[in-house]
Amino acid sequence: MANISVFLCKCFGEIDNTVDFDFLRKELSKNPSIVLISTVDSLCLETDIEKTVSRIKESNSEKVLIAACSILSRGNLVVESLIKEGIERHKIGLVDIREGCAWIHGDDPAGVTKKAKDLINIGIAALQHKELSDDMSVTVHPNALIIGAGPAGLAAAISLAKTRFKVNILERSKAPGGMLRLISRCYPGNEDASNKLEPYIREVENNPLITFYPQSKIASIEGDTGNFTVHFSSQEKDSSIKSGVIIIATGAKIFFPTGLYGYGEIKNVITQMEFERQILNGSLETKKPVFIQCVGARDKKRPYCSTICCPISLKNASRIAEDVPGASVFILHRGIMTPGNTLEKYYRDTLASGVQFIRFEEEHPPRIIGSDHVESVEVYDAITGITRKIETDLVVLSTPLVPNNDNAQLAKMMDIEVDRYGFFSEIYPMHPLETKTDGIFICGSARWPVSSDNSILQGKAAAMKAVSYLRQSKITASTLSRVPGLKAGHARVVTESCTGCGNCVAACPFNACHLEKMEGRYISVVNMMKCKACGSCVSVCPNGSVQIPEHNYRMVGEMIKMAF
Amino acid sequence: MNQPRILIFACKWCGFIGADAAGKKRTSLPSQFRIIPVECASLVETDAILRALAGGIDGIAVLGCHIGGCRYNNANHTAIKRLELLQDLLDTTGIGRSRLLLSFGTAHEDYQFEEIIKNFFDELILLPPLDPWLSPFGVIS
Repeated sequence: MANISVFLCKCFGEIDNTVDFDFLRKELSKNPSIVLISTVDSLCLETDIEKTVSRIKESNSEKVLIAACSILSRGNLVVESLIKEGIERHKIGLVDIREGCAWIHGDDPAGVTKKAKDLINIGIAALQHKELSDDMSVTVHPNALIIGAGPAGLAAAISLAKTRFKVNILERSKAPGGMLRLISRCYPGNEDASNKLEPYIREVENNPLITFYPQSKIASIEGDTGNFTVHFSSQEKDSSIKSGVIIIATGAKIFFPTGLYGYGEIKNVITQMEFERQILNGSLETKKPVFIQCVGARDKKRPYCSTICCPISLKNASRIAEDVPGASVFILHRGIMTPGNTLEKYYRDTLASGVQFIRFEEEHPPRIIGSDHVESVEVYDAITGITRKIETDLVVLSTPLVPNNDNAQLAKMMDIEVDRYGFFSEIYPMHPLETKTDGIFICGSARWPVSSDNSILQGKAAAMKAVSYLRQSKITASTLSRVPGLKAGHARVVTESCTGCGNCVAACPFNACHLEKMEGRYISVVNMMKCKACGSCVSVCPNGSVQIPEHNYRMVGEMIKMAF
Repeated sequence: MNQPRILIFACKWCGFIGADAAGKKRTSLPSQFRIIPVECASLVETDAILRALAGGIDGIAVLGCHIGGCRYNNANHTAIKRLELLQDLLDTTGIGRSRLLLSFGTAHEDYQFEEIIKNFFDELILLPPLDPWLSPFGVIS
């Protein structure tokens, strides 16, 4: 057993007024492994920390136990300053006898001292049996890979190039631009999409740090944070890139509402995207358009709101109302979604431009009248209760964005998750744009349908998150923590006793465990870059072969023994 | 009358924070409970709970984060499944599921922690004390 020095903090009477320190000292001195028991007025004062450190160094103790306040108040400060003085982290134990003991059991003098004694004994047991996890580090490839060259991907690429990192962009189609190439104007500023896109494309073409791979298809992705290898084909040529981080900006897909409102059968029933195309090639001729919202969205199959269809309708409706003399424009909606200050103003401007809004209910969708050519739309006005018939020459269906078909496949390659609809999912709630695998980020409509402005914003944000990885020459596994501070450790497998049952592989929420064949049998291997020390594997292992050294089996057993 | 003895495994990100907040508020609580903070509720082994019960501790509480709010990618889901199985096992052995309290996402505020602990004490005080089993740690450690 290692020699331990124990420091009891009085906290200027906060603790020693209720806890009997004389009794504590008497009890603790019975333990042969305790070589020093010292009472301090307040450990968090700088002078006392100096005194503490010199006392630790004078005594022949290997480990230090501090009985003071909780790690969430000033306990952490004490531990950190001891680490600064050269004492290793795993050799310091902190027991909370203020918040967890003195302050809550003040009316029970016998119980509070007994509890303090037990807590210190638990702390000593933990300190005696605590071990240190292994660690590893990976050399970072100082370049980024961006999948998708839409607004999000382009913005991310340019932000990364500005910070002097090499960027490779893989794009499915021939040219960069994504969905911005299919539309004429962007809301809420009503600027031309081509104008918005032009500086980005010029930068991608001219910046020597950015390499663009058109018509590319990803075959496989391997490796871990800081060291991904992507095998892909671009223009029928196979190649592979090593990359430190991956940013997914694959965007989303347009939903075609086949069978809804006679789409595909009746002429002049089109989607918003076809409307945009007609504007772009100048073939649009309409005086009395009717826009129908929430087509294939906010229903049983797709209960989500696609967030972009209402502003798109506002944009196109107000454009017709303002540009075409004598136009009568209707928007049939189920509640207009315009969050934020700019979009709400956009809605009010559209109202002022003379566009008429009629609210319908999900149970009474509008009816298209006309067999091969639309003549009118019949709608039950949910507010007045009157069924109205609107003469029209064009029906525009606002359809949601839906996830790309190959999202699940791509997610499997990168070991990340998709949500129940098929969009890439981030870590909810405190890690926006980050995925289950560190070093892989999502942005734009691959994550959730967003406007081009928000795509650009998210692309830049993802780039900045990526820089925090790229700027390190080496990434140490223990720093890849989702929680404040370092990781608690890494799971360790005892290869001699591991039976290769695979329970840990099934239980690991980060896919950090896998089975490997070794000397004719399977054993579990932990990937430390992925392990987050949650301990799921520890509690399903049938024979205790996998342990977290910082919280091992023997230590928990001893702690429980000492609990009362 | 002897107070029952409770051992709490508290997730560092929910239950432990609730306990700490209760301490900061100086809530008066019965002293016969001890907290062992763990990284995640999924780190609590079933054997650790059985060891504690065998050692004569009257009640075990496992406090974790709410479903969908786990810091470790839903590791607490598997913990709930496993520990509910253990509750069934405790029922069949006659110890009773009421000695193992599972609470997820309900102890991250001071008043919630206080309520959970007080209710658990009230429940356990009605049960007979668990006598330490002879040689409880001989087999494994």
